[in-house]
Amino acid sequence: MSGVVSQVSIIGLPGSGKTTLLAALWHLVREEGAVTALSFDRLSRGNYEHLNALAKRWRAGKIQQRTQQTGMKTVEMRLKDSDDASVDVAFPDIPGEEFSRMWEAREIEEEMTETLRRPALVLLVNGDTIQYPAWVVERMAIAQAAGLGTPAVKPEPVDWSPELAPTQVQVVELLQMLMSDQLGIGPRRLAILISAWDKVAAEELEPEAFLKARMPLVDQYLRSGRDRWMWRVWGVSAQGGVYEDADKGEHFQETETIRELERPSDRIRLVDGDTQSSDITKPIHWLIRE
Amino acid sequence: MTSDTPTCSNHDCRVAEDGKCVEGYELPECPHYGKLSVDAIPEPQHVEVAPPVPETVLIALDAGTPLDRTQAARLQQRFLSLSVGVVGPHDSGKTSLIAGLYDQLQEGPVGAYAFAGSSTLVGFEMVCHHARSESQREEPFTDRTIRGAAASFFHLDFSGSSSAEILSLFIGDRSGEDYLTVTDDLANADGLFELRRANVVTVLVDGAHLIDSEQRHEVKAITPQIVDALIEAAVLGSRQRLVLVLTKKDMVLASANAERAMSEFEGIVTSIRNRHDAKLEAVESFVIAASPKALKDVQRGEGLSELLASWLRVSAAPASLPSPSLHLKRQIDQFTASEDTQS
Repeated sequence: MSGVVSQVSIIGLPGSGKTTLLAALWHLVREEGAVTALSFDRLSRGNYEHLNALAKRWRAGKIQQRTQQTGMKTVEMRLKDSDDASVDVAFPDIPGEEFSRMWEAREIEEEMTETLRRPALVLLVNGDTIQYPAWVVERMAIAQAAGLGTPAVKPEPVDWSPELAPTQVQVVELLQMLMSDQLGIGPRRLAILISAWDKVAAEELEPEAFLKARMPLVDQYLRSGRDRWMWRVWGVSAQGGVYEDADKGEHFQETETIRELERPSDRIRLVDGDTQSSDITKPIHWLIRE
Repeated sequence: MTSDTPTCSNHDCRVAEDGKCVEGYELPECPHYGKLSVDAIPEPQHVEVAPPVPETVLIALDAGTPLDRTQAARLQQRFLSLSVGVVGPHDSGKTSLIAGLYDQLQEGPVGAYAFAGSSTLVGFEMVCHHARSESQREEPFTDRTIRGAAASFFHLDFSGSSSAEILSLFIGDRSGEDYLTVTDDLANADGLFELRRANVVTVLVDGAHLIDSEQRHEVKAITPQIVDALIEAAVLGSRQRLVLVLTKKDMVLASANAERAMSEFEGIVTSIRNRHDAKLEAVESFVIAASPKALKDVQRGEGLSELLASWLRVSAAPASLPSPSLHLKRQIDQFTASEDTQS
């Protein structure tokens, strides 16, 4: 693999955990003694001040600041795999709002197209904030079964707007756009990371089963093979628990517990089928392998 | 300085202070009075000019709304394509049928067919909205299709359990009133391109009307008339299947006239089959509850998997094939080529 330059883009809707993943990854690959599929090789080019700031907050158990809404910071790191072959991995830290704009305004900044045409993508989906479709008739049936009457004040009907669409519809559209004439490059690899896995683990579903059960439209779309994605699903908890908001002066015992761990990387959890580890470089390694 | 303050272009004049002309004129006769003095013109202030902001170049993505004729034709070249025309009077359940089918896919495959993609996700979301909880409505509601507008197409790609091939389904959408005008004048069928090129023409029979004593006879009369007119206008022919669908099964079953309504629907189907079976590839019938207003006797989307299977069933080779030299893979192309050859 020596000399091969692979490029990976992290994508996801707002609040999907992209920044936290990047912070955890930057810490992990530079942590002394960490055993990972990909490890730090040397600095390439990019904004390390940004990366270091992210990792610093992550180590301290502080929530990340909202990713800036305009422009983007592309950070790149040179990693190497177990064969000691080097690979450049680029992580454009694209604000989630850009992806919302693709769904809602049906437009994209030209500046982003190069990033989105990369052959390997990490798609983050926050497993804890999935917006499910729900139907009036079923809500009525549940209310009737519970013996609830008609509410005294009838709510005004709400007009349709794009942000009301179920999360799975937005994800499918995003993936379709990535295969459209504007952005398509042919077959691509896709690592789907269900983030906030610690919050959905109680459902006792493996990541692939979780995708099928909670986002069946995405699951059907990918399995159909229409758009030639080569894909796999992982669950990831890059934060490992509750973090504090420094601006609000928060202090939680749970955060203290996280800080008590011997190594910061011990708070990371990657779920692959029925196995677990703290090595979040594995999905990226899968993306860049032949 | 207010607008009432006297002004003079002679800077020695003090008319603003004493009301008198320095040269002794009566004010209206003074050639300088009323004009601005050079001294009164304010010095231009230095304005901080912001550096130009680099222009953001935006690239337009597909709108995701229902497709026009040209857009649909372009997409039909990708996979094996099947086209459905849905004919029904206003409020017979056409939009509910389209929305209900899409909403079934939100929960998993519909029968043997799984979602493989769509170019009209925004359009589907818009028609589904009023049946979704986010709309805050007390019961499901659907907007009516605009009368007089050109037909548009909803698009869904499916993968089937028995075939690795992707099937593209295009569902035509046009105002129900526009279809009804064919019964008044066959010439009104000229513009119904979506029906002429459809593999399956689906005629909806409004279940709510069939249980209503005032409207049932109209339903029984007008449904065969629509089919007669479409066949006579050569919109519907031997290479197409006719599917008759009784909608709003929930309302039918909840009615005291349920049995009679089901029987009358069967009568409509039998009558049409007897008259036109030989002129069409097949005549089929289904009963559905696409977007029921209550779940007492039915499930949401009941009957849709059977209807979808019928829509996606690839028919036998058309009676009149296009020139072999064209090597057209899709049925829709064969129809189009055949039609174009005829014209």
